[in-house]
Parts: sequence; C-alpha cells; structure tokens
Amino acid sequence: MVLEVKNVNYAYKSQKQKEILKNVSMQFEEKKFYTIVGASGAGKTTFLSLLAGLDLPVEGTILYDGEDIQVKGLNYHRKHHVSLVFQNYNLIDYLTTEENVRLGGTKRSQDLLEKVGIPCEDWQRNVLQLSGGQQQRVAIARALASNAKVLLADEPTGNLDENTAEEIIELLKRTAHELGKCVIVVTHSKYLAAQADEIIMIKDGYIESVTEFN
Amino acid sequence: MNSFQMAWRSVIRKPVKSILLFFVVLIISLFFLSGMASRNASIATQNKTKQAVGAGFLMEANEENKRDRADEILAKKTAGEEGNFDGVNVKKIKTEYGTSWSVSYDNSFQTLLIGDMEKIAAVSGISEYNLTTAVTAVNPVNFLRIEDDDVDQSSDLLCVSLIGNKDMALDANVLSGNVTIKEGRMITEEDSNVCVISEELAEKNNLLIGDRMQFNDRRNVENATIFEAEIVGIYKVQQKMTPIMSGDTYRSENIIFTDLGFPEKAEGSTSGALYEKAYFKVADVNQYDELKKEIQNVEIGWERYDLIDNNGNIDTMSQNFNDLENVSQILVIVVAGASLIILFLVFVFWMKGRAQEIGILLALGTPKIKILGQILLEAFMIAVAAVFLSFTAAPATSKITADYLVKQQVQKAKEQSVLEEGKVAKSVEDSEATVTGVSVVVTSELMLYDWFGVALLVLISVGAAGVLIARKNPKDIFSEIN
Repeated sequence: MVLEVKNVNYAYKSQKQKEILKNVSMQFEEKKFYTIVGASGAGKTTFLSLLAGLDLPVEGTILYDGEDIQVKGLNYHRKHHVSLVFQNYNLIDYLTTEENVRLGGTKRSQDLLEKVGIPCEDWQRNVLQLSGGQQQRVAIARALASNAKVLLADEPTGNLDENTAEEIIELLKRTAHELGKCVIVVTHSKYLAAQADEIIMIKDGYIESVTEFN
Repeated sequence: MNSFQMAWRSVIRKPVKSILLFFVVLIISLFFLSGMASRNASIATQNKTKQAVGAGFLMEANEENKRDRADEILAKKTAGEEGNFDGVNVKKIKTEYGTSWSVSYDNSFQTLLIGDMEKIAAVSGISEYNLTTAVTAVNPVNFLRIEDDDVDQSSDLLCVSLIGNKDMALDANVLSGNVTIKEGRMITEEDSNVCVISEELAEKNNLLIGDRMQFNDRRNVENATIFEAEIVGIYKVQQKMTPIMSGDTYRSENIIFTDLGFPEKAEGSTSGALYEKAYFKVADVNQYDELKKEIQNVEIGWERYDLIDNNGNIDTMSQNFNDLENVSQILVIVVAGASLIILFLVFVFWMKGRAQEIGILLALGTPKIKILGQILLEAFMIAVAAVFLSFTAAPATSKITADYLVKQQVQKAKEQSVLEEGKVAKSVEDSEATVTGVSVVVTSELMLYDWFGVALLVLISVGAAGVLIARKNPKDIFSEIN
C-alpha cells in the first residue's frame, strides 16, 4: 500500500469539542481509483486535506510508503508524494498553459498536455483563456507532472458539464490504471463514484462503508 | 520554474498591480531624494549693500557657524561654570529676579583666520587683498565727536568708530566710490598708528593732516592707556555710510579709518584683532568665474565663511536659513513613516489578492519562505525601476521642494521680523539680503541612501505583510478561497 491512515481524529482548533473526523483508518493502493462520498459536512474534504498534508490530524498518523508524513515534513509530502486537483482548477492566472504544467514538476509538460488532450495552439495562451474543461485538464496535467504516486482530487467535475465531466473521469481512471497511480477523488457525483474501484462512504466523521468493485 | 522567473512573469503580466506599486515607490523615492537634497541645498542670497565688490571677492564669517561652534564648546563645559572657553565668554548675572547667563564671543573666536585668508590670497590670479576689522567703538580722548543735538545721548556709548584696513584703497566703502580722499592720502600696509577722518570731524575739531588723535578703551576711560594715531588723510562721502547700529557712536561722520592693527590696541583687546572682512582683488576680470572655482577649491574650513562674489551672491550653507535643515529632516522622517504604512497596506492587499496563488504554491509543496521571497523579488524588481526613474526626475523635484521650503522659511523669517520689530536690535544689513537662487545637487551618495532607504522599507513592509501568510496553514487558505 502507498498511503495509510491510522486512527485519525480531526477537529478545528477553534472548536475542539466538534470532531470532524473520528478514529478514521484506511489503506490506499497504487493503480486503484478511489472515490470518497458522503453528505456535505461529513468530513470528506477534511479527510482529503489530511491525505494531502495541507493540515495535521489532532490524533493518529498518516503513513506514506510506511513512513509518517511528518518525518520529512508536510512540504516534502506535498511536493514529492501527492499531487492535487481542485474543483475550481486553481491555476496561476499570470502563467501560460504550459508554464502552469511546469509548476508541477520536471516531466515534459508538452507530452502531458498532449496526453490530456490540450491542442498545441493553446499551450502558450494564458491559462484563463481556456474553457473550464480545458483548465481542469491542465490541472490534471500539472498533477501528473510530478513523480507523486498519489493524485488527490476534490470535486474535479463539480464545475463541468456532463460531457466534459465524463472525459475528466476517464482521464482520472486512465491515470490510475495506465499510469499506475493511486487516485483518490472526493465527489458528490453518483456517476463519478460508480466509476471507482473502491467507494469510501463517510458519515458524521466516520468511515461508514468501503465498497469494492472488481 | 524558479522564483525569479515566476516573479518576472508576475510583474510583466499583471501590470495593474505592478504600475500601482511602481508609482508608490517612485513618489516615495522622490520625496526621500528631495528631502535629503534640500537638507544639503546651497542657498544663494544677494545683499544689495555688498554689490560693490567689483572685480574681486569678499569673505565674511558665517554667522550660523559661529553659533554652532559656540554650542559645541558650551556643550563640553561643566554646568554652572563661568569663564572663557575657547573664545566663548560665559558670565553669571545675578538680578533680583534670579540668575541668568550671558554668553559673548571674544575677538579670537569671531575673527577670520589670517592663515585661511593668506591661502586664498596665494591663489594665482589674486593681485591684491585687504583685511578689514570689525567696527570698533573707542573713547575719543582729545577731540569731540559729531552728535545730534536733538538726541538724548545717555544710552549711547559716547564713542567713535574705528575701521582698520590693511589697504584702505580696497575697503568696501572706497571700492563702491562712496568714500573718496578730500585731502592727504589713504592708509597702506606699511602704515602704523595712522588714521583718515571725515571732513565733518576735521572741521568740528579744526584737525589737519599731521595732527595726532588720541583714543582709549571705552570700558575704562579714566585709566586705560591712550593710543595716538596721526591723521594722514581726510575723506568725504557721497552718501552717509550706513551705521551698523543706532546711536551717534556709529554715525557716518564718526567713522575713522585706521591701519589694521590700531583698533585692537585702542579698544584694549586681550583676545587679538577681529578681522571681519577680507577682500581679494582679481587681476584679470575675464578669469573671474574660473578664479571663483579655484578659490572654492582652496582647502580651508569653508563652513566658517561666506564667499561673496561681484553680484553680491553668497553661497552659504542651508543652515543659515533658520531651520531648513530641520524641516528637511522632518520631511524625510515623515515620508519614511508614511511610506512604511502605505507600503505595508499595498503588500497586505497584494497578499490578499494573491491568496489563491499562494494556496496553489503551498499545495505544490513550495515553502512559505520561498513564496515570500518571490513576492519580495517582484517588489524589488518594481522598486529598482521606480528608483532609477526617480533619479532622473529628482533634480527637478528636489529643486521645487527646496524652493518651496526656502520660500516658507523666508516667509517665516519675515513674519518673525514683523513680530520682533522694535524689540530686537539687528544689523541694517540683515534686511538687505534676498534669496536669488537655491541650488540643489542630487549626489550619487544621496542616490545610494535613497536606494537603501527604499529597499529597507520594502523589505520591512513585505516581511510585516508576510506574517499574515506565515500564520495560516494551507487548508485555511483554501477554505478562504472557496
């Protein structure tokens, strides 16, 4: 397994009595496509943030390849172990398409842009001139530019129309199955959730169920 | 992509924020330079009474420097101590209202330094030079002075005025053509114990060439040693000479020209002669401007002196203009304080406006210090451009600022003068001085100070605004964005 969550609890510093995640444990493997589902406020995004090293759990540990992510530091974890894709794309507005991809790592940005289906005439355009679907593809290309084994995505199709969302889901599936990455996606979309190898259901801070598909 | 490449792209591709910061820094830099340059401004003044310098230069002591030197000396002495401290006399005066202190300067403190004058006289192109003593009030022993019968003389010193010259032909009154010899001759360097008197004084006392006049110390008329001077000439004037103070002691008819060494003897000075003016005659008037530059390059303590040219222009230090230095200093301090606040706010808005970008970079594993470094780099790129532009515009803006500050100072001095009218005794010559120009030089040293000042302000402002980022974790930033 590449990523393991052990007995994790999380609460906001300002509201310590209100626990967001309660004794959560889970293991994630490479070449698998996971979706995390649940009602709003269930703790899905918080769980993803902890996996991404954007914050620390109050209790418990998160291991990457068997090592606590705090040993090398959260910056190191974010830079080398995981890559992130967001609902609102989160691209840097003063960079071109290609430059945004280069931010992700040293891999050849143009190859990645080709792989995610961005035509070459758009590579040197300002990234904000692209459509929403194209921007999300660029965000995925940026995530793939790093050597990270884990790709985390928070509502990646939330702002996209149905057809574009399907294309993005396909891209994420290929990333898991063809590129061998561990892809973990938080979503409200039943369609997207149904595409996963495993569906993790979170309710009131607990992992209520894990459904595995063969 | 490294921080420099990111910073450069941000500066170029987000022009609105760059231009905003550019103009803020430009204005700050211009204010800094203007304030610093005004502090070192050279104020040219013109004194109508000194326009008759002719083809020569006049040197006088700088009054502000006298006060500064006295302040330095007094600061070193023990509190409550009386006596003479390097030429500054401090005396305790007890009155029925309490104790007060009197501070006066002796001749050794005030005089032009003869060594300095000789250095200037040695400059090639100076054909002759003259030294003139201060107007010295002495007691007339064997003759009567001219008095206004309608004036109560009880408050007057009851003296006559002596003006000693090394070469009387080069005295300012003679050069201006106002004083001419009616009978006899002028005094030369070789003369000793001689004088030239006014025709009115000669007539009143029936004095002739060859007669001997007697003088002694006005502070001890009964017992002081009497000194004699032989009359070698009688002068007449076209217009009465302007008295330096009120009272018949200083009236034109009672002015007696003597040889250079006589006034100090007659007044019983224990602190040497008081040379008040030096005149340097130029051999070739066509070389006047070049010679002025050469004189200004002579290594003497120029802060002690004012050099007056043939237009009556005096290049003085700005300190002579009341507290121009202080006003400029305050301007620099106020600009620094205001700039710090403005720059801090600008960078706070920068940071807030770039929360998403900062969040993205944090999510990509970029350390906070590197993100702050990029923002600092951007600020420096813009600041360098703004500061360089300010260097080109600074001479003009500094001139405007210095002109404005001097105008304010002159106005303030005029208002003060009106308030003090009739209360404070002052020299008639004071009112004749007018500002003819303000010269401001923006030196490379000032530019260097300006750059360091701006860089420090930017560094502190980015650092302070950066604390806002440093305190947040990436999850909080993304929560804010969403």
